[in-house]
Amino acid sequence: MGDFDWGAIWYGVPYMLQGALVTLEISICAMIVASVVGLVMGLISASDLRVLKVFIRAYVYFVRGTPALVQIFLVYFALPRIGFEFSAFWSGVVALAFNSAGFIAEIVRAGLQSIDAGQSEAALSIGMTNRQSIMFILLPQSLRRMTPPLTNEVITLVKSSSLLSVISITELTRTAQLIIAERFVPFELYAALAVYYLVIISVLSWCSEYLEKRMA
Amino acid sequence: MSTPPLLSIRGLSKIYGEVPVVDRVNLEVTPGEIVMVIGPSGAGKSTLLRCVNRIETPSEGEILLEGVNMAGETRNGKFVADPPTVTARKRRRVGMVFQRFNLFAHLTALDNVAIGPRRVLGMKAVDARALAMEQLARVRLSDHMMKRPAQLSGGQQQRVAIARAMAMRPVLILFDEPTSALDPELVGEVLEVIRTLAEDGMTMLVVTHEMQFAREVGTRVLFMDSGRVLEDAPPQKFFSAPHHTRAKEFLRRIHAM
Repeated sequence: MGDFDWGAIWYGVPYMLQGALVTLEISICAMIVASVVGLVMGLISASDLRVLKVFIRAYVYFVRGTPALVQIFLVYFALPRIGFEFSAFWSGVVALAFNSAGFIAEIVRAGLQSIDAGQSEAALSIGMTNRQSIMFILLPQSLRRMTPPLTNEVITLVKSSSLLSVISITELTRTAQLIIAERFVPFELYAALAVYYLVIISVLSWCSEYLEKRMA
Repeated sequence: MSTPPLLSIRGLSKIYGEVPVVDRVNLEVTPGEIVMVIGPSGAGKSTLLRCVNRIETPSEGEILLEGVNMAGETRNGKFVADPPTVTARKRRRVGMVFQRFNLFAHLTALDNVAIGPRRVLGMKAVDARALAMEQLARVRLSDHMMKRPAQLSGGQQQRVAIARAMAMRPVLILFDEPTSALDPELVGEVLEVIRTLAEDGMTMLVVTHEMQFAREVGTRVLFMDSGRVLEDAPPQKFFSAPHHTRAKEFLRRIHAM
């Protein structure tokens, strides 16, 4: 280990922090979009809106059945063809959100359906509609149960953002690759890259644990 | 008949696959009647109740509450099924108390009772709370209003559930084995509350295994077996001289215990 090039790592710090910022920006934007879309789709999945449910099943089927990398390429190359022009940054956000929303929809659906049937029966028995039962009875009770799988999904999303390096978004991973290309220090930079991701994910995990305790 | 029926059940069946769990049941209930539904387990008692407020959808037959068909309406000679929102509205008139209480686990006793008036009837939050306090006082739980279901005994939970049903001002209450999930020493307090409601003139259908209670509080006893109503008689008559052999057998087995 005598020839470990610490110099390259220190040299990379400002660039890597810049890259980490891009990773966070993309992840946060994608997370917000995916949470809203995923929550709505999950609620519909648990409701009695039959036609919409079929669309959501198909959507989830596609998202689960194709690699995130393929989805990224599809968004980046296919959407412009049908008239949607995004910058690389927003293509990345759309692609990640598209992917994550499918999984969040499933988490929300499973969370709602994990609540004892007696709860929704009681809600119906006092004259609530299905929608009221979901909003006032099932959703509040399932939020806490959804937190651990949602945390996993957020972590997956942040890590998937590294795939966006292929569509030339200079986020954390691509930043590392650029420094490697310049200084020929793959081992040092990939090791550093792993540490950067670990720090980001650790902070996320702490936040989630804190939230879970607050909700108890 | 002088009083028009509050509830009319005509030819009601609920069939799972090939098995009729409720089999061509007819029943008319007039206001103020306390109908005790008894019979062996699997007789279809609970399913009958759950069909009345359409938590289960009946396979055949019709249910009228105050003359209103619970399933839909006939327009120009054609039957049109209710959309879910209309079913929900019709359900408000029927309260239900479940065997396993089914209190909303995330809400205090007070909010369990207030949420119906607030969200379903659209009352103001203050008014809904006031109504909930009043109902909880009736079931003698004023000291426990701020507790969650998990902090209450089974008997207390069931009394909250009764208050929750009453807060919707129903014209009929369905009790689905309200004391079967309770420890023996907690049965009395729940039966006492039901007895009070009965004395106040509330119309109810009660599925129960408490024979003493059925005899004392009921104005009428239905005996069900295999989905059919085999006997329909005043309690004194039913318990002293049941007609049907299966009713006799059932009572003998109960008394043997």
